Amino acid sequence: MKSNGLPVIARKELRDHFRSRKFLLIFGIFLIITTIGMISGAAEYNKELQQYNERQSVADDDEFGMGFGGWGKPSIMSIYLQVSLLIITLGAVLGIAMGFDLISKEKETKSLKILLSHPIYRDEVINGKALGGLLALAIALGITFIITFAILLLSGIVPEGDELLKILVFGGAAFLMILSYFALSLFMSTVANDSGKALVYTLVIFVALTSLPILVNGPVMSIVIGDPPEYPEQMFSSDSVHRGMSVVSSSVSSDGKVEYKEPEPDPVWEEYNRQIKEYLNKRQSISDTITLISPTMNLQTLSYILLIPDYSRMMSMVFSPVGGDDFEVQETDVFKDIFKNIIALFAFPAAFLGLAYVRFMRMDIR
Amino acid sequence: MITFDHLSKEYNGVYAVNDLNFEIPGGEIFGLLGPNGAGKSTAILMLTGLIEPTAGRCLIDGVEVAKNPIEVKHRIGYMPEDVGFYTNLSASENLDFFARLYGLDTSTRKSRIDELLSMMNLDGVEKLVGGYSKGMRQRLGIAKALLNDPAVIILDEPTANLDPQGVADYRRIIKKMAADGKTVLVSSHILSEVSLVCTSIGVLSQGKLVAEGTWKELTRVLQGEQVKILVETRGSMPEFNHPDLISAEYSNENHEAVITARSDIRDDIADTLREQNVMIRQLTLDRSTLEQAILLYYNTGDK
Repeated sequence: MKSNGLPVIARKELRDHFRSRKFLLIFGIFLIITTIGMISGAAEYNKELQQYNERQSVADDDEFGMGFGGWGKPSIMSIYLQVSLLIITLGAVLGIAMGFDLISKEKETKSLKILLSHPIYRDEVINGKALGGLLALAIALGITFIITFAILLLSGIVPEGDELLKILVFGGAAFLMILSYFALSLFMSTVANDSGKALVYTLVIFVALTSLPILVNGPVMSIVIGDPPEYPEQMFSSDSVHRGMSVVSSSVSSDGKVEYKEPEPDPVWEEYNRQIKEYLNKRQSISDTITLISPTMNLQTLSYILLIPDYSRMMSMVFSPVGGDDFEVQETDVFKDIFKNIIALFAFPAAFLGLAYVRFMRMDIR
Repeated sequence: MITFDHLSKEYNGVYAVNDLNFEIPGGEIFGLLGPNGAGKSTAILMLTGLIEPTAGRCLIDGVEVAKNPIEVKHRIGYMPEDVGFYTNLSASENLDFFARLYGLDTSTRKSRIDELLSMMNLDGVEKLVGGYSKGMRQRLGIAKALLNDPAVIILDEPTANLDPQGVADYRRIIKKMAADGKTVLVSSHILSEVSLVCTSIGVLSQGKLVAEGTWKELTRVLQGEQVKILVETRGSMPEFNHPDLISAEYSNENHEAVITARSDIRDDIADTLREQNVMIRQLTLDRSTLEQAILLYYNTGDK
């Protein structure tokens, strides 16, 4: 005999979310602040674009060719970057608020026993709740992104294909981040006996996940991988000019001309360079891994890569030791750079939805 | 029909239900009696498919619950003791949600919900269930148990929070259901309630069924003890003569009597009254007698 529990429960959950004061309040604030952020961001963008155009026209008239092209054309992405932090913070709160009492409230009000006495399979309850929440989130974020698009268009800003793709990827990633915290709080709702405890457990993990990357990048990192290698003292010889990774010696000839010799490889410098490169790589990989565990930090990193032009290039320059062949920083593919972040954003909610499923299926109904 | 087939449930080495083995025929109102922790609720949870038995099985109309939970749940209507609803929904919204789970179509849902809310005096109550009193929730619980027009109705402490009118409505509805051929299982610790409604009784003690049968069969345990019978008639009743009769106290111009006997002689009293064309209004065992009998069974379980 068939059961139609999943669609019925998912539909009820979806309706419950949109009738919930808690959801409507947080979503309302989310929407208002995003709208304000987008309007001010669009105005700022138009102002910067106007300044850029003025500079360009000056540069075109510049007969001496001094050039004013140093500052690039402003990017639409900067508008989204402005609201990204808000989406990350309020989105996480929205996800937690939606999930923390989904099962615990059923336990408190004793409605779970009566629900499960109906012709439905137990997994349809947890799946229906997850599906209803997922749909509510998708609708909420869909509305938000439609409004942000409308603001762009009303401000006379039309995103190009690549920009549109980046905005959509950012939107998808933001959805996965909010879903991550929804899944975490849903799991806690199956673990805790009451909604209060479920909320506390979720907030503790949320704070831990948000602060962990900051802690790890600070003092914890030094404990884990030790201090960076010491800068070699003998590098500063009196007649040597340190230029990048190589040492260039110079001498003054009898006619007073300065003669530069070919760079000589310095074994001490090369060893230091190898060690610092290894240290920085290790530090970066630990930092990246820790960031992947935290959905908020992960989305933040992802939004920087997506929304700040040449972010990856800048970061690779920062984390590269100076000089040498590696000084040349390659052009990076943005979507390749965020691949692991996207995978982590899929993995987090999948893991916690799985845990919530297992826990709910094994729950004692008495 | 409900069948318990050597049903057992063990929690951490302790049997909450131990080898329960009996049948409840269709059309019967069966009362499950027992002290706290006797295993009544555990037995009901297994019957409703909410928990699985450690050993044995239970069947509803020949269908095994553990193997065909969905089919069984379509046949039963269940109201738990601590009945819980969605407090953010109204009574009709709650019932509509549950009716959808039964797969009822829109028109059936609407007519059934209207009928049940009217039957339980909840029609016209617009407020959310969160604002309901315990009694109102219990009435809604009974309505929910009847939502799918089930063949088997399982009620756990159905009158615990009902007011006198609610109790009277409940009795009327349950008796009508049984008359329509439905099987009703009532778990209760309110002895007088069970004695008024149930046609047969099972007594659970420490997870075991220690007695089962009609009230008359159960009170046989009191053979040699004093049995009190309450009689109320429309006309004036005659004096009774019976070898087991100890005493009879008449009152209210012989319209009421308290008979004390050495056994349950209600059948003989009824025969005498019928012969004299006296209409019977009440012919029940006194509560103290029922308690006496049930306590004897509970003590059997303790041993």
